[in-house]
Amino acid sequence: MSPETALSLKDVSYTYPGSETPALKRINLTVAKGEIVFVTGPTGAGKTTLALAASGILYHDYGGTLKGQVSILGRNVRDYRDMSEIGRHLGVVFDDADAQLIFTTVEEEVASGLENLGLSRDEMRRRLQEVMESTGITALADRAPHTLSGGQKQRVAIAATLALGTEILILDEPTAELDTEATAAVSTVLQRLAREGTAVLVVEQKIGELAAIADRMIIIEDGTIVADGTPGQVMRNERAPSTPLTGNRRMIPRCSDASPIISVHGLVHRYDGIEAVAGIDFEVSPGEIVAVVGENGSGKTTLIKHFNGLLRPTDGSVIVAGLDAATTPISELARHVGLVFQNPDTMLFADTVEEEVAFGLENIYPGASGERIEAALHEVGLLHRRTVYPRSLSRGERQRLAIACVIAMKPDVIVLDEPTTGLDARESGRVMEILERLREEGHAIVMVTHDMRVGATCADRIVRLKQGKIVQDGETYQEDTCPRLCSMSPGRAPFTGSTLSPN
Amino acid sequence: MQYVTRESAFHRLHPLTKLIFAIVVVALAVLTADTMMLTVLAAGVVAVAIASGLARDLLRQVPLLISLAVSLLILTVLTIRSGETLCYLIPPSVPVIGGALPVTVGAIDLAVAMSLRFAAMLFAFQLLVISTQPRDLVHLLDRLRMPVDYTLMFLIALRFIPSLQLEAKRIHEAQLARAYNPGKGVAGKVRGLFPIIIPLVSNTLGKATVLGLTIDLRGYRSGKRTPMRELSPGRADYAGICCMGVAAVGYLAVLIL
Repeated sequence: MSPETALSLKDVSYTYPGSETPALKRINLTVAKGEIVFVTGPTGAGKTTLALAASGILYHDYGGTLKGQVSILGRNVRDYRDMSEIGRHLGVVFDDADAQLIFTTVEEEVASGLENLGLSRDEMRRRLQEVMESTGITALADRAPHTLSGGQKQRVAIAATLALGTEILILDEPTAELDTEATAAVSTVLQRLAREGTAVLVVEQKIGELAAIADRMIIIEDGTIVADGTPGQVMRNERAPSTPLTGNRRMIPRCSDASPIISVHGLVHRYDGIEAVAGIDFEVSPGEIVAVVGENGSGKTTLIKHFNGLLRPTDGSVIVAGLDAATTPISELARHVGLVFQNPDTMLFADTVEEEVAFGLENIYPGASGERIEAALHEVGLLHRRTVYPRSLSRGERQRLAIACVIAMKPDVIVLDEPTTGLDARESGRVMEILERLREEGHAIVMVTHDMRVGATCADRIVRLKQGKIVQDGETYQEDTCPRLCSMSPGRAPFTGSTLSPN
Repeated sequence: MQYVTRESAFHRLHPLTKLIFAIVVVALAVLTADTMMLTVLAAGVVAVAIASGLARDLLRQVPLLISLAVSLLILTVLTIRSGETLCYLIPPSVPVIGGALPVTVGAIDLAVAMSLRFAAMLFAFQLLVISTQPRDLVHLLDRLRMPVDYTLMFLIALRFIPSLQLEAKRIHEAQLARAYNPGKGVAGKVRGLFPIIIPLVSNTLGKATVLGLTIDLRGYRSGKRTPMRELSPGRADYAGICCMGVAAVGYLAVLIL
């Protein structure tokens, strides 16, 4: 083995405990010092399992059947005493940012690992300051983790791992919830670390900024590596996705004289004195797809929570289907507005898919027929899974189930918070097709996304928020947000949940 | 209950001083069931909070304390008969079961004493937690040779309570958006908990693995730590410990005499 090899997997196969089919099949992969390797693939392809295998976690923590050899800095992971010993050389950023934040302030979080390294206090302070600045979290130093947004949590988790200064970094979906600015900041840090000799293995669904800085790109499908080369080579050879996000959308002319189903006038919402929404006027008409876009913390989620009464205006008015959303009970508004949360696991509790859909439906229409449940499941392509335990479904299927739960109630407006986060192109495409059909049926669709490109490719109208105010409301996105990678590929990226269009 | 960033006098004390304060209050609270003494103790803790400008944070626990006091009162009235009888829950004029549930002075006294004891302990512990960075607490417990697993358990409990509350709120909102309606009656209320509890428990268990791995990878079990800030006791600490000593001796003297 070359002395420059930091990570190596030789013929690695792995089967999870209780499973019969292997999640990884004869994987061969090396990551050299100073190299950035980008791994991507569809949902459920084995990307996270690969990251867990490479970090020694599968061997030391998961059980299951691990075949082949995983080496970290030339030493077999079996020869390391435990994960604490591996942790001296290798840092891992997991995809669940919240679970990685142990302390009660951001500064403590980043400093926590430094205190275990035996450094001098001056060196600790220097590193702390440097890492916090480079990840853009200096202003959050005294904040408690639970008060941060998803993107901010992700940045803190990255900073806490970077501070350890390990020779190897493994990052699982590190930018899933980051906006373009924060992603660019993370890319810059990773590039610098690689120049200083750190080996970086990044696993991402979304092919974007991080793929553009990678030395090598690997595509994994069904537990097997199917492409390995420079990002340019891999992108050129890769086939186009079977279901592109834009689909074969029929543009339906909007009826300009249709009365709006949602009217927002002068909406202001303050949390603890901070104006999250600072005077918004906008309307949504039946039969249109509106994308509400903006950076992390721009007030998108605060805005949409007013549509079904989860938040009430501090000032201004929100009228939904003729009802004043400030005073109408949530249960009444739920008849008109369905809200699909970002993470479907927030709501799944029933024993079967069918019961899950029935829950909301029966809350509104007691004794509603099974036909409506069937129709909703058919709409999202889950009819054949009706008796399955919802939490055993794949991420994409769970997302579609969450949508089915809402569409069964036949609301006038369907609001989706980040509908494509964590989904690959195929699954994102399916979600978008469902939304298209719902629009054709006359539903108004409002989707919130921090990813401007989803809005740009899928919506009739884009409303862009910045610091709680609308800074743009139009039919196209007026700013070039396409990352550098666009220029690398003549076609569409294969697995991006937020299709990259070269245009 | 979580660390609050502020520049209070209590914040500036050494963590050990604050820990001693909490331990002394707990010890004094369990030594007596005298309502007068416990009132003095609880009032003393509140006075410290007011002097440090942290009284408002303590107020947040008042609803919890009131519900606890009411539950204790119901429990003691139903189970304890001692001292003078003030009245009966079922008037003696009612045939057969009349006079079955007397409300006695002893039962009320005990409920009040227990509530005051709990209030004093809770306030003292809360003052320690909201004024001490968890990192400093961890280092202190480390120095006191507390096993690292217990220290981390304590830390994680502090850190994840607000996260769990937030997650529960998010789940509640998601179910409200599906017109969730908590049921009526006891059976309905219990059934109504499932849509909240099941996702909460499942999601929390999912986080536990990542949390454990993060602790390992950051070297928290390695045992050797260099605190970024070395806190040493100052004059205020010595003065505080002296005051505590005097107050505790006075309290004990009154108890014994």
